[in-house]
Amino acid sequence: MIEDNILEELNRKIKDIHDDILEGKISLLDLELVPMFNQIKDSLNIDNLDKHSLIYKNTCELLNQKFDELKKLLSSLDTQEKFAKYLNTNPTDVEIYELFDGCWNKIFTLETLSINFLEISKEKLSKLIKKSYSIEHLQKKDEGGVFILEVPKLKFSEKMTEFFNSIQSKLPCSFDEIFEGDSDQIKIFEKFVYLLHLLQLGKIKYQKETNTLYK
Amino acid sequence: MNAISILMHFLSNKYGSYQIGAPEKEILQALKITGKNKAYYFQNLLINLSKYIEPLGLEVRYNPIDSHWFLSFDSELSDIINANPFEGKPRLAATLFSVLVCCLQNSGIGNIQDIKKLRNKKNVIEDLKELEKLGYIEILKDSSQIELTPLIGYQLNIEQLFIRMALKLKNLG
Repeated sequence: MIEDNILEELNRKIKDIHDDILEGKISLLDLELVPMFNQIKDSLNIDNLDKHSLIYKNTCELLNQKFDELKKLLSSLDTQEKFAKYLNTNPTDVEIYELFDGCWNKIFTLETLSINFLEISKEKLSKLIKKSYSIEHLQKKDEGGVFILEVPKLKFSEKMTEFFNSIQSKLPCSFDEIFEGDSDQIKIFEKFVYLLHLLQLGKIKYQKETNTLYK
Repeated sequence: MNAISILMHFLSNKYGSYQIGAPEKEILQALKITGKNKAYYFQNLLINLSKYIEPLGLEVRYNPIDSHWFLSFDSELSDIINANPFEGKPRLAATLFSVLVCCLQNSGIGNIQDIKKLRNKKNVIEDLKELEKLGYIEILKDSSQIELTPLIGYQLNIEQLFIRMALKLKNLG
């Protein structure tokens, strides 16, 4: 209901503007159209889409007319003679100075919001994450009980190095070659984990395109 | 880091004495926006940023001299914080006006003789030197021509000035 009232008001307003322009009461250059577009935007909903489209079209026409008026105005000035004519009327310095009224902008700069700072921070963070971590071997304490999980006899790094030494002679080779002949899933998984860790440490490298592992 | 923060950085950054903000191409490259709709995305980004900064009294503006987008305080706030660099110096403002008329009709370069004629004064060199000190123009080597720097395009709403000028001429009949 409120939206309908706004639509009626907008329709009336557009008609009044047209009448006032024809009567020479107002110039479109003096008319602020932004509030009208805001009203259209705020009152738009699914039910009144049809009516809104028409009002939006009419308001856009006003905007186009305003642009045309501005173009005409600017093109009518676009010669040095016109400016010279004005300057030949010997306007005082103060008169010209007053022309600048309301035309000045205060620039906003904020050098501290630097993209370089953000880039440096990002690099620092990625370096922190890159740092390899050490795997500490578990120490078995004799508590006198029976445990399902057994602490491995060799440290992870020792096992990994042993694996690395065993495949060194094969490199470069295809990824699948490493697992050739292995039927035990646990063993395959274990080798895969060593491979991942060796890749992370950069001891071996992998080329995706050719599925090749190399040093 | 999101698109708005990168845009905010580009539009508020100062390059040297005369340049602020960034051109559309540079911003699009930084944001890795490509394709046929890139201009649309760019406008959308500017509109969204405008909404964010409006309550702070800031707006996104365009400098027609060097095609840079930049940030400035809105006109109301600019008036309050006194953005007019010629306060109490109408003589300099009048010379700047002649400079603008000459330069904007000649790709940013103007003859000092033409400025003298427009200004209707024999000696404008002192004014031009002062405008050069303020960073608005550069007097070229042979001292017969001057060139506008982009600075005036940031500080002065040239379009608004010409509209005011046009209305003035209209009233003069």
